[in-house]
Amino acid sequence: MKILVVGGGTGGTIIANNVARRLASEISAGKAGITMLSDSDRHMYQPGLMYVAFGQMMPDELYRDQASLLESSIDFHVDPAENFDLDNNRVTTASGRTHDYDILVIATGSRIMPKNIPGLNEGSETFYTEEGAIKMFKALREFEGGRVAIVVGVPHKCPIAPVEVTFSLHDYFKSRGIRDKVEIKYHYPINRIHSIENVAAWAEPEFRRMGVEYETLFNVEEVDVENKIVKSLEGTEYQYDLLISIPEHNGAEVIINSELGQDGWIPTDRHTLMMTGHDNVYVVGDTTDLPVSKTGSAAHFQAEVIAENIASVIKIGAPVTEYNGKVYCFIEAGFDKATYAMFNYDFPPDLKEPNKSMHWFKVSYNKMYWSSVRGLL
Amino acid sequence: MTSGSEEEDNKSLEKSLEGLAEIGTVIAAAKDALNDDMVARMASALSEGVTLLDRLTRNQELVRLLQNLDRPENKALLQGLSEALSKTSIELSSSPPAKGGLGNLVKQMNDPGTQEGLRILAILGRNLGESLRK
Repeated sequence: MKILVVGGGTGGTIIANNVARRLASEISAGKAGITMLSDSDRHMYQPGLMYVAFGQMMPDELYRDQASLLESSIDFHVDPAENFDLDNNRVTTASGRTHDYDILVIATGSRIMPKNIPGLNEGSETFYTEEGAIKMFKALREFEGGRVAIVVGVPHKCPIAPVEVTFSLHDYFKSRGIRDKVEIKYHYPINRIHSIENVAAWAEPEFRRMGVEYETLFNVEEVDVENKIVKSLEGTEYQYDLLISIPEHNGAEVIINSELGQDGWIPTDRHTLMMTGHDNVYVVGDTTDLPVSKTGSAAHFQAEVIAENIASVIKIGAPVTEYNGKVYCFIEAGFDKATYAMFNYDFPPDLKEPNKSMHWFKVSYNKMYWSSVRGLL
Repeated sequence: MTSGSEEEDNKSLEKSLEGLAEIGTVIAAAKDALNDDMVARMASALSEGVTLLDRLTRNQELVRLLQNLDRPENKALLQGLSEALSKTSIELSSSPPAKGGLGNLVKQMNDPGTQEGLRILAILGRNLGESLRK
């Protein structure tokens, strides 16, 4: 039984490790094998990028060698997929090799698309890449006061990020003693300040307390880099001195090129996590078109379900569990307080008052992530 | 006016509350003493420790080796190995380097202690060979 995992991010790595543990005896008997294809020999802890943007983590803290995170029985190749031929159970890679499979896991993730908005790439700071996070940190260090605008594209990875970066900006300028010289304005594309209703209800009074202005129904149309003006499709505009953007995301290019899903999002069954119309193809994390957050925790909970089902299908011929839409997001409410949002398909989050213990839980999780992707936590 | 049992209940409650207040003070003190870096370092050590423990405990051969070493006769071997390492380190630092030459080699080989050492290595080698062939 050949299991092929395409993508070495959070979801793909947890699935590969978890299946390798569950099928240890089948693998050592030569009855099952796991191959992983990735575009990098390094694994990045992506939530750490926002800490880099505020000088709280160094970039090298965010990386581990991918091979060091994998069970030794996994056949790992740095050779990204170039084409999916689902009719013939075959994947072709950049090196020209083809990999046949009995079970396929697609975990190719998502990527930022700032170039979809004229001027956004040149005119704004973002923390969704290592280079971007370092550049944003330097821009913040040089900033001595003025108007800061936060703009958000959809869909985007980590739904809580717009709120978190706003809290962090407030605390950052406060710690430098220049908060009174900075005007922070938050812009959000729908008609409330966050897509999750309870997060919006919690954040709104917090924004008022911090003196953060906000404008809803603001979908960025273009950025006039020369005059430092961000304009919305709704006809409003804002003149800024520093623009922080959370750009729109798309799925991986290989998904679009292989015509597996619009904008790179693959149609996925919300409970079985199988690709629609394919009973030997699982989809995990950002790659799905599910109505849940594109976040590492969603990928983690989905990965647990997929791994358990792959093992049970091989051992007893049937899946044993289903995904219920569970997501658990830490919410950093500034530099020394945090809370969390846990929700699923049926129950919305119930946010608690932020406190220091939750912040330290998050600080600890930043390090314990490596145990998590190894399939231990 | 309160009865004797009520008084006892009140005292017991008072003690419990004092205990809770003490625990609260300890937690508050710990929070004041720690910072983000300390918490991150502890979490990192814990995470790596858990990973190491997982790898060690899932390595059946290593577990078997540890079980064997835990037998009384093998404990003596471990103790001997530990003493030998210590003596070797002292001898090496206090004696001049080997002069070389066949004559010196023969002189070494004539020493009963050296011969015993070679015999131990030969027995280990023979047993290792047998185990690997299985």
